[in-house]
Amino acid sequence: MDNSTSSVQQALAAQQYIASDQIATVLFLADRLGKPLLIEGPAGVGKTELAKAWSAVTDRELIRLQCYEGLDEAKALYEWEYAKQMLYTQLLRDKLNHVLADAVTLAEAADRLASEEDIFFSERFLLQRPLLKAILNDRPTLLLIDEIDRSDAEFEAFLLEVLSDFQVSIPELGTLQARQQPTVILTSNNTRELSEALKRRCLYLFIDYPTLEEELRIVQLKVPGMAPRLAQQAVELVQRLRKLDLKKAPSVSETLDWARALVLLNAQALDQQVLDQTLTVLLKHEADLQKAQRLLNPRDYGRDMGGRFSRS
Amino acid sequence: MERRIVEFIMGMRAAGVRISIAESEDCMKAVRELGIEDRGSFRETLRATLVKDVHDFPKFDELFPLYFGSGGPPMRSPSAGGLDQLRPEDMQALQQAIKQLRNRVQELIQRLLNGEQLSRQELERFAQQAGLQYADTMRDRLWIERRMQQLLGLDKLEQELQQLMRLLEQAGMAEDLREIIRQQVEDNAQAMREQIRQHVGAGLAERQAERYQQRRGSDLMHKPFNRLTEEEAEELRKQVRRLAAQLRSRAALRQRRANDGQIDVRRTMRVNLRYGGVPLELRYRRRHLKPRLVLICDVSTSMRPVAEFMLRLVYELQDQVSKTRSFAFIDTMHEISQDLSTSHASESIQEILYRIPPGHYNTDLGASLATFIHRYFDATDRRTTVIVLGDGRNNYNDPRLDLVDTIRARAKQVIWLTPEPQTMWGTGDSDMHLYAPRCDAVHEVSSLAQLIRAIDRLLV
Repeated sequence: MDNSTSSVQQALAAQQYIASDQIATVLFLADRLGKPLLIEGPAGVGKTELAKAWSAVTDRELIRLQCYEGLDEAKALYEWEYAKQMLYTQLLRDKLNHVLADAVTLAEAADRLASEEDIFFSERFLLQRPLLKAILNDRPTLLLIDEIDRSDAEFEAFLLEVLSDFQVSIPELGTLQARQQPTVILTSNNTRELSEALKRRCLYLFIDYPTLEEELRIVQLKVPGMAPRLAQQAVELVQRLRKLDLKKAPSVSETLDWARALVLLNAQALDQQVLDQTLTVLLKHEADLQKAQRLLNPRDYGRDMGGRFSRS
Repeated sequence: MERRIVEFIMGMRAAGVRISIAESEDCMKAVRELGIEDRGSFRETLRATLVKDVHDFPKFDELFPLYFGSGGPPMRSPSAGGLDQLRPEDMQALQQAIKQLRNRVQELIQRLLNGEQLSRQELERFAQQAGLQYADTMRDRLWIERRMQQLLGLDKLEQELQQLMRLLEQAGMAEDLREIIRQQVEDNAQAMREQIRQHVGAGLAERQAERYQQRRGSDLMHKPFNRLTEEEAEELRKQVRRLAAQLRSRAALRQRRANDGQIDVRRTMRVNLRYGGVPLELRYRRRHLKPRLVLICDVSTSMRPVAEFMLRLVYELQDQVSKTRSFAFIDTMHEISQDLSTSHASESIQEILYRIPPGHYNTDLGASLATFIHRYFDATDRRTTVIVLGDGRNNYNDPRLDLVDTIRARAKQVIWLTPEPQTMWGTGDSDMHLYAPRCDAVHEVSSLAQLIRAIDRLLV
């Protein structure tokens, strides 16, 4: 392990994030090369969490853009604050009258008004959305573009333009250049294929579910009140559940929720009653729950399997 | 080292991973940052900069050790192996015993005892003799490895080693010393095998990369399905995913642009706030009419290649069609939707083709359509596009044209994709000329390019 990457690992650990060698290496590289980093992986393995921890480590302000279907420039980049413009016009009416009072012709009045229009299209009335905010921020910034796979292909193309030279042109104002180059982290849950062009520009990191030892360390770090033996049992069960063919496998964040629930209920061991009470924290689908029950109570297994066979 | 990395990138491209020039440049920069001393982080560096898709990770994992192998574990020197415990007279006895072994193995055992690795020149010479230059694919790997081992005498080693042990026992050597010799020879033989294995693997990967460059000139997209070699088909299969992605984004864009004429008041108001509520820019309701597909595939021998690619495409495009139900037939109809909705494309398609094995002259579309109407007619409604993929060669069975009419009356449209050109319709057992006028459209799809065009027209 390199000195430089192990220091990344330590710094992340100080932020309560346990990073594998792979994660540390790639983060280090992204930082050195000044490249955007694309993080993929199943939901809830700590992709967003990693970005937050990294912003704390590098002392960068975190600006987050949550993507969704239908997200467009107006909501991601900037918008003119129309209501504020109107309000100002109303309030400044007297002053406007005064400025325009000695204009003789209509044309002259229009010219004079035009020479003042910069006031109304200045940064004062610009509603900054996350992308513009990240570009114009004076402080070092970490721009987190979350769940990019949920946005549309068009938005992705637009994003490419912004990410490649960190400048934005606003017709009324001209081109705004980034005051500092933000670190960019994109996350994706892999629900759709991202464009080749976007992937080409980014470094790539795939975070998978942690191994048993890693997950145990995470649980112990985040839920310190948990008895070691119980934590071990709980994590082992979660790892076993992930091997089942579930609609949604339990994520790390769900493991943590569950661990907290167990601590709150003051559970001593994973007995049937505790499981019945808390398994819904871990599994959110009825079918998944039933499968898990079958795994935990092999007694009922035969009956259920019989049912399945006779149906098909 | 840079040269080796470039070769590796070429190897990855040959394996079907798309790597751009900009990415290889990034890779070089990153390597300069982190250096190559630490193998683990070097590996991460290459992977993070070159491989942007988790599905390509296995290929990376396969090729990386071939290009950046350590050249096998180092062999143990005689002193590390404990051979210095042998007194001079023991050494003499050992040399005597070795001389009684087979010629070929004498030199080998000598080498292994001394911990002498094969030099690069030697490796290349043996590989040449074993025929590495004629090998084409990774499948030849084992065979060449074995040939090289034979040339070196490694295949006879175990036998000869036992012989050696017997001879040494007769010469009165102590057991612990014999054990040291045996351990030294066996461990170093293992190291040598590993060295050979890596050399052959790397050589094959390089040859594959070279051939890939030569091959790219020919345009597989337009080559008819029935004239593809197995290798070319493999190449095309890799392409399908990329083409599907293109098709998908194009379709998504088209869907977004397509308006259905109704003004979306809420969005229009919001957009036009900046004009003081004067509606300058109109926003329309989106049309979310993804096609609903029923796919009827002929999977008899003649149709297999087309059917496979069709199924692959449909599998990749699942998010662009609101609902697909797929059926396959030879003499009767099978529903295969379930198979396509699970697991991995390749596996499920192989599974289907395996489950419905081709027979001899048993295609019966008429009977299959009857089964379809009898059992699965609920799959079609007025929004469904029914696609029949087949050559209409019916083995002189009843074509049941009335059933096509029944389906067409119920469905939005019936589209027929056939791999045969129009001139062939109606020849022999083909009923295509009878089916064609009953469909809304008939497209000829004999190559991947045509297949993609036909599907593109569906996804409006």
